[in-house]
Amino acid sequence: MSAIVCSHVDKAYGATTVIRDLNLSIEEHEFVVFLGPSGCGKSTLLRMLAGLEDISGGEVSIGGKVVNDLDPGDRGIAMVFQNYALYPHMTIFDNIAFGLRRQKVPAPEIDKRVRAVAATLGLDPYLGRKPAELSGGQQQRVAIARAMIKTPKVFLFDEPLSNLDAKLRNHMRVEIARLHQSLKTTTVYVTHDQLEAMTLADRIVLLKDGVIEQIGSPAEIYGRPANIFVAGFIGTPNMNFIEVTVARSGNGWTLTGAGTALSIDGAGFHLQPGGRAVLGIRPPDLKTARDGDAGILQGTADLIEFHGNDALVTFGSGGKEISALVPARECPVLHAPVRYMFEEANIHLFDATSGASLRQQ
Amino acid sequence: MKPGRIIAKAVLAFAGFLAVFPLLWTALNSLKNSVDIITRVPRLVFTPTLANISYILGRDSVITGLYNSVVACGSAVLIGVVLGLPAAYAVARYPNRWAGDIQFFVLSLRFLPPVAVAIPLMVIWLQIGLYDTLPALIVTYSLLTISVIMWLAIPAFQGVPKEVEEAAFVDGYGAYSVFWRIALPVAARSLIGAVAFSFVLVWNEFLIALMLSSSNAKTLPIVASELSQQGMNVPWGILNASVVLLSLPPLLFLGVLSGFLNSVFRQKKN
Repeated sequence: MSAIVCSHVDKAYGATTVIRDLNLSIEEHEFVVFLGPSGCGKSTLLRMLAGLEDISGGEVSIGGKVVNDLDPGDRGIAMVFQNYALYPHMTIFDNIAFGLRRQKVPAPEIDKRVRAVAATLGLDPYLGRKPAELSGGQQQRVAIARAMIKTPKVFLFDEPLSNLDAKLRNHMRVEIARLHQSLKTTTVYVTHDQLEAMTLADRIVLLKDGVIEQIGSPAEIYGRPANIFVAGFIGTPNMNFIEVTVARSGNGWTLTGAGTALSIDGAGFHLQPGGRAVLGIRPPDLKTARDGDAGILQGTADLIEFHGNDALVTFGSGGKEISALVPARECPVLHAPVRYMFEEANIHLFDATSGASLRQQ
Repeated sequence: MKPGRIIAKAVLAFAGFLAVFPLLWTALNSLKNSVDIITRVPRLVFTPTLANISYILGRDSVITGLYNSVVACGSAVLIGVVLGLPAAYAVARYPNRWAGDIQFFVLSLRFLPPVAVAIPLMVIWLQIGLYDTLPALIVTYSLLTISVIMWLAIPAFQGVPKEVEEAAFVDGYGAYSVFWRIALPVAARSLIGAVAFSFVLVWNEFLIALMLSSSNAKTLPIVASELSQQGMNVPWGILNASVVLLSLPPLLFLGVLSGFLNSVFRQKKN
């Protein structure tokens, strides 16, 4: 049984539609990440699941029960907020116990459960303190403890790591992953950080302007992006896009653009002779070319960014800036001519007008 | 210490002196005989007397005025708290399309010159037959306290992070519990300031009290002002003693409040 089902869900503020006809089903024990640029509606969607925003149209059900008109407290969810949202006037113990008190859990059991959760998250020494006396990471851990203690059907995380510094963010990300491994509670996690999405998610739901662009595992989203938006959003450094004209040549196809003509077999793609397409290649998929290689992009290295193991080489080809991520030892000197080749298995082709992937399913 | 800091401290000390000295002088004068007050050279060393204070406390009109003031201001502040705080919370958290108008209306009560408010109110209370009674004064003062408390409490409630209240909703609490258990305690610091301010405002109120009372419902400021009208010889010592008496309740009130604040917000040290 699916833990969460959204069918034909709409959200509008007055005349502005934020989410349009959204359909999504989340399985039990799954870790789903809503990913997208700011303003894409991912937080709004999460808040609709939580019951903090009205649902303008459609139906949301959690654990097989339609929850459209249920209060947040009756939905079997627990939520972790971006700015922790701890109760500033209560001690850490009371913060964690607040939800249980509402459920009229007897005091000795509250005490037992709070101490158990606090032990799991390493919060024992702080139970008597107020939130303001804790660091950001500790506060976020209290927020997670407050969510965990209710043993909800669904965890909702709203950009929980955005307020932490980079080092702590990595640490807490690992902690959240471990927590999900041990608790197996269905989790919906909102972030704009693709690294968080890729590392944590069983499935990523990529949103743009209130519409789902693609749903899939991190590997699917990275390896087979459904359209040019997904391809450009996922992956660091960003994918290179080259506008090309498609022409038939013998058994294969020729892609002309950015000052070069590239021959490909084209077997995996729906191609139209004379059509316009966008060729996508990720910078790590460009390799230093040897003599005799086919499918070569060449130009002069304009900019070299040293990353440690690798270097990002940016070169101009036919007026187009292209980046290649190469091992540092193959790094060319600035302004040197460079030649890079790619393997056909690693390229992406998109329709120039609709942006949809031309890959055969 | 840098010269800038020394100058800043000197300016601060001077401003503090300007604020505190008149109060101190009044308190000293209340303990002086008239002879010591009207000397050409101000006297810091004198033989103190409690005559002024015992004269003030011995007069029935002063005791009645004190009683009236405490009851009228206390009740008005209580009504202001009971009605004003929930109203302010509603405007802050559940605004409808009239929320802006409500806020402006509440503020506009304070735009009018008090006389413009007092004269119609006097007529109203005369017609109803409640002129010169405490209930009339309480209701009138409640208009002031509700508007002041609302006006100051709306931003205080808006300052409570929305997510904290949402977390309580997710924890299963309803709108009323969230108001009681989250919004009120979190905003308490600013709210207590608002309440104290409204108390001081009505405690010091003179004009409306003067127009709404003729004998029975006189408040302390009215009684104190009458003390200066005893013939040609101004009784400075008695006047100063009555000012001290007038100032004590707000000071006590603020003292109690700040003590309460300290106990609520004292950080636990581990």
